[in-house]
Amino acid sequence: MAEKEATVYIVDMGRSMGERHHGRPMTDLEWAMQYVWDRITATVATGRKTATVGVVGLRTDETINNLDEENFSNISVLFGLGQVLMPDIRRLREKIKPSTTNKGDAISSVVIAIQMILDYTKTNKYKRKIILVTNGTGTMSDDNIEGIIEKMKEINIELVIMHVFLLIGADFDDAEYGVKEEDKDSRKAENETLLRNLTEESEGVYGTLEQAVSELDIPRIKVTKSMPSFKGNLMLGNPEEYDTAITIPVERYFRTYVAKPISASSFVPRPGTEPGSQIPGEGNVEGDALASVRTSRTYQITDESAPGGKVDVERDDLAKGYEYGRTAVPIEQTDENVANLETFAGMGLIGFIKKDQYDRYMHMSNTNIIIPQRANDNASLALSSLIHALYELDSYAVARLVTKESKPPMLVLLAPSVEADYECLIEVQLPFAEDVRSYRFPPLDKIITVSGKVVTEHRNLPSADLKDAMSNYVDSMDFITTNDEGEPTNDLPIDESFSPLLHRIESAVRYRAVHSSDPVLDPSERLTEFAHPSEEIVKNSQSHLERLMSTADVKKVPPKTKGRKRQRDTEKPLSGLDVDALLSLEPKRTKISTENAIPEFKQTLSRAENIDAIHDAVQQMAKIIETQVTHSLGHSNYDRVIEGLGTMREELVDYEEPVVYNDFVRQLKGKILREELGGDRRELWWFVRKGKLGLIGKSEVDSSAVEDEEAQEFLAAN
Amino acid sequence: MAEDSYAREEENYEDEELDETSFKSVKDAVLFAIDISNSMLKPRPSPDPKKHGDESPASAALKCAYHLMQQRIISNPHDMIGVLLYGTKSSKFYDENEEDRGDLSYPHCYLYTDLDVPSAQEVKQLRSLASPVDADDDVLKVLEPSKEPVSMANMLFCANQIFTSKAPNFSSRRLFVVTDNDNPHADNKGMRSAATVRARDLYDLGVNIELFPISQPGHEFDTSKFYDDIIYKASPSDGDAPAYLQPDTNTSTAKGDGLSLLNSLLSSINSRSVPRRSLFSNVPLEIGPGFKISVNGYLLLKKQEPARSCFVWQGSETAQIAKGVTTLMSDDTGQEIEKSDIRKAYKFGGEQVSFTLEEQQALRSFGDPVIRIIGFKPLSALPFWANVKHPSFIYPSEEDYIGSTRVFSALQQKLLDSEKLALVWFIPRKNASPVLAAMIAGAEKIDENGVQKIPPGMWIIPLPFADDVRQNPQSTVNRAGDALNDAMRDVVRQLQLPKAVYEPSKYPNPSLQWHYRILQAIALDEDYPESPDDKTVPRYRQVHKRAGDYILKWADELKSQASEMFGGSAATSTLVKRGAKIEAAGDHPAKRVKVEDSTSGMEAEVKRCYEKGTVSKLTVVVLKEFLHSHGRATAGKKADLVERVEQYFEKKF
Repeated sequence: MAEKEATVYIVDMGRSMGERHHGRPMTDLEWAMQYVWDRITATVATGRKTATVGVVGLRTDETINNLDEENFSNISVLFGLGQVLMPDIRRLREKIKPSTTNKGDAISSVVIAIQMILDYTKTNKYKRKIILVTNGTGTMSDDNIEGIIEKMKEINIELVIMHVFLLIGADFDDAEYGVKEEDKDSRKAENETLLRNLTEESEGVYGTLEQAVSELDIPRIKVTKSMPSFKGNLMLGNPEEYDTAITIPVERYFRTYVAKPISASSFVPRPGTEPGSQIPGEGNVEGDALASVRTSRTYQITDESAPGGKVDVERDDLAKGYEYGRTAVPIEQTDENVANLETFAGMGLIGFIKKDQYDRYMHMSNTNIIIPQRANDNASLALSSLIHALYELDSYAVARLVTKESKPPMLVLLAPSVEADYECLIEVQLPFAEDVRSYRFPPLDKIITVSGKVVTEHRNLPSADLKDAMSNYVDSMDFITTNDEGEPTNDLPIDESFSPLLHRIESAVRYRAVHSSDPVLDPSERLTEFAHPSEEIVKNSQSHLERLMSTADVKKVPPKTKGRKRQRDTEKPLSGLDVDALLSLEPKRTKISTENAIPEFKQTLSRAENIDAIHDAVQQMAKIIETQVTHSLGHSNYDRVIEGLGTMREELVDYEEPVVYNDFVRQLKGKILREELGGDRRELWWFVRKGKLGLIGKSEVDSSAVEDEEAQEFLAAN
Repeated sequence: MAEDSYAREEENYEDEELDETSFKSVKDAVLFAIDISNSMLKPRPSPDPKKHGDESPASAALKCAYHLMQQRIISNPHDMIGVLLYGTKSSKFYDENEEDRGDLSYPHCYLYTDLDVPSAQEVKQLRSLASPVDADDDVLKVLEPSKEPVSMANMLFCANQIFTSKAPNFSSRRLFVVTDNDNPHADNKGMRSAATVRARDLYDLGVNIELFPISQPGHEFDTSKFYDDIIYKASPSDGDAPAYLQPDTNTSTAKGDGLSLLNSLLSSINSRSVPRRSLFSNVPLEIGPGFKISVNGYLLLKKQEPARSCFVWQGSETAQIAKGVTTLMSDDTGQEIEKSDIRKAYKFGGEQVSFTLEEQQALRSFGDPVIRIIGFKPLSALPFWANVKHPSFIYPSEEDYIGSTRVFSALQQKLLDSEKLALVWFIPRKNASPVLAAMIAGAEKIDENGVQKIPPGMWIIPLPFADDVRQNPQSTVNRAGDALNDAMRDVVRQLQLPKAVYEPSKYPNPSLQWHYRILQAIALDEDYPESPDDKTVPRYRQVHKRAGDYILKWADELKSQASEMFGGSAATSTLVKRGAKIEAAGDHPAKRVKVEDSTSGMEAEVKRCYEKGTVSKLTVVVLKEFLHSHGRATAGKKADLVERVEQYFEKKF
């Protein structure tokens, strides 16, 4: 459970906050609110009721507070401590505007904030915080400042003061940010000292807004407390059977675990509201024009005798089961676990392997750490000896891990990790036999010909020159990482890299909550820092890259010539025999037969000497396809139809004869819609759409007269 | 629920490329064509007479087909497989009748298992044919060879018709030809050219012929005699990537011994069991600004899970799977809604913050797919722990950039030689979220049968972001002294795996295999197997035999170091269970393992209670502790715990 929080934001809303400075496009108040909104929405995003926020306006036109004294005039409590919800954000957005006055005492507002926190949190355990954002131009009285400091220390409030920079003579000194205004107004200088004193005495933080805003785009990482995913015994040998077995009680925690972006839920617009838009402001207190979505599930079985071939069945009449091939295997409720392997929790060592014999790409999962059971000195001593033995032998251990009774076993690899003040085993899952798919690829350093001859010089193999150029380029492009002292390290930039999607969605949601009508923002620079090599690296390696490029002589394939044409020469058997010649001798093959339609269609096209021959082939094919549709029982022939149609389209695109195809597919659509091909065939059109087998548009083949929009419409129209 | 299925959709999306450019359905159909002839049926003796190893080429081929069928039920449950025997005396093709002999379309072709997703019955039938010892005569009659030769053209056209009608529009269709006859129509030019024409038909249909040649004793299979005219350079379904042409079964099948024939055929067929499907294709690999080549991505390592359970309807004669249909309704009105009406919104401050579909997409978009190198680092910079998921494998493609292969090869060789990795910004496909990844080179690996195990190429290992790194929890460090480390080193040395490598093929997933083994037994109404064949269980006897003495030495050292470090408090317990004699001697009778001091006596106590039948007198705390230390679940009421403890002892004794 996270700690309860009570944070009060004091926002200086004085008239001077409405001015623009330093060439910033926004007013000081708007600028300051970037920071405040970021903090408030970050709290809202947690969705926690116990993370409470209060907002106090300083130098407001009105006076709204409980302390009915003159000292506390022009200070308004805009939002009392509590959980902030969307309507509150909208209300606050309305209220926080520059006032027409510069009156109001910052110190007094701090007193009010202290009082608010005291009233709200009483003596309960809370993380208490006051954040004051001001440009420090107002009057401040230092009466009883010691008393305030005393009080804050007593109830343990952290005070954060963020300062807005002003251009003329009023900037606060900040040695770190290198800003120091020379002719400082004396009152502001006093205020500065006062506030700095206040924060220092109460052990708070004193900072500038410049810095605060510049740090907004550093993603905040959510720290998750890990729970053990396994508590049990690490065993070598079987303690139940042999008296020479080692058992070490251990615990297992995540070392890495992918943080997922917040997930969206499904909604539908409520009738009568504009989808996707939310009207900001008071007028729409309800705010949500969306209704949530429910799902209901029904079950169907195939029954040829029923209309539509399908019947609904009750969920209660169904048994749980599995598919074995195309056989359905029901499992009786009584032995529901029969297909589960019986296992017991534990981590059993299988054997040891050499570090240098292991391929790093075999890592299959996130990683975990294995540490000794808590408060078990013997276990930590025993595990330590295993860790060090592995470390000294450059070895890893392979183990079988079952995290809970009846869970499937995993095979894991255990590597020693020894740091100055920490020791553990790092664990990662290994692939089982079934997890390895063998796809085979030719060697990259030699070519083996059909006859088994080994060739080392080939257009697909790098020349000595190319290898040399590559080597130089790679060596010139070291990715530099440094430690805090600026010394180079041998690390990957993991600590500085942030999940782009996670943080982008999170900040977009928070931004949208406050600025409902703004468009979504581009990802912050910090998130895409590693999207490109750094300028420095690029500069250093420039000359090597140029040489590499000229040696490599890589040519981009123009999009139009992509595809089959280029591979015509591979359409020969290994022997290189000219089968086309044999085909033309086949007397039978003048007409395309139904049963061998696709090959014969392709072959006819490749032999065609004029457009008429192509027309003829398409006609024949069209007839075959239409017959298949007409004779299809339900959708039984649809796959064949789609294959035929797809082949025709592909070939005619290759032969750049879009018109022939387009004419045919137009006719086909007409016939389908008029139900001339054996009744209702709309489902087939759905397949055509899915396969994108509509008109061939201009973007595919230049000579087509069909605009892409028309092609789109043709598919879509029903 | 909706969210659930949405997440699942996304996950699947990760899995295999959704090829939006193709009208074909991403499925695979494999038809075995097994040559049945006298030489194919002649058993080849095993060199070791004690072992069962008499295997004829035909039975080896059938065993491979059976093996592949079983394997595909697990790994590719929607793909098809079939077995066509050719050269048989009898013929069978769908509803054609044996009696109208004159009218047979495909004489001497016997479609034993129709091309389909296999049913349990078909698995059984194929099994009986593959192990003729238990098969009855009817089955064996099928394997009788014909006296007259079969026409190869006819066989190929038969296969053509099977593919055309049973697997239309599949993205991958493959004909596995297993034969020992390298020259079927040696003296008939007409038959021969007819066969080459039919082979071309198959090529144009998109069927890939893969040959598994078996050499006859004393005669090398020579593909140039006939099959080089039948087989094509590029696979029609994967025309882009170069075909792997290295013959692999040839050399080892010539030796003539049955077992090695089976093994090499198995390994060769296994290596082609799945069609090459890409995870992403023609993604630019940007080596430097303005310098791109194209690569394809593949998933060579992927966790294989058992298929989800489903609901079965048993009202009809054969059980059938009930298909779930989800309808979406508005919570407000209860009306059914279309998928296109759905808006995605995030819960925030008690309301929903919504984005339009276009905005949603814009938020997810970080640019076009790319693998962009941003620098190089020594391989040693990649820590063992920096991993979040399985890697992707990439191999060059000439589709977009001519010259990609040679550049890729130069880079791969350089990274191998210099032991470097490339740091890359990786967006595998449109709208996929980008990751920072380590790209490492992998060398080709060949198994003992000369079959490629791991292809040469490069691997992309996604790195964790700072968000994904968890802090180490607190832990006490009691560093072991040198003597203890030395003792453990001796233990580790004794228990190295063969060749000190991890070899995945030796460890089938026990729960996956068991799951399907049981399903098969239920489906065929057979007895359940007694116990699983679990290769992942450590070899306890070997540990005892090889390392037992060293372990005892380590235990003694541990005891002395512990008493030195922690004083008397820990001295009574040890991590190693000693013999029963010691157990009987002391006041603290049992000392199995448990290092928590309190539990050292617990073991014996529980055992005593079991023997007296008074387990139920023990407290819940003790019962739970006992169960936990034996890897048993500790959930449930006291009665459950007692039962589980009793079960534990019953099983043991």
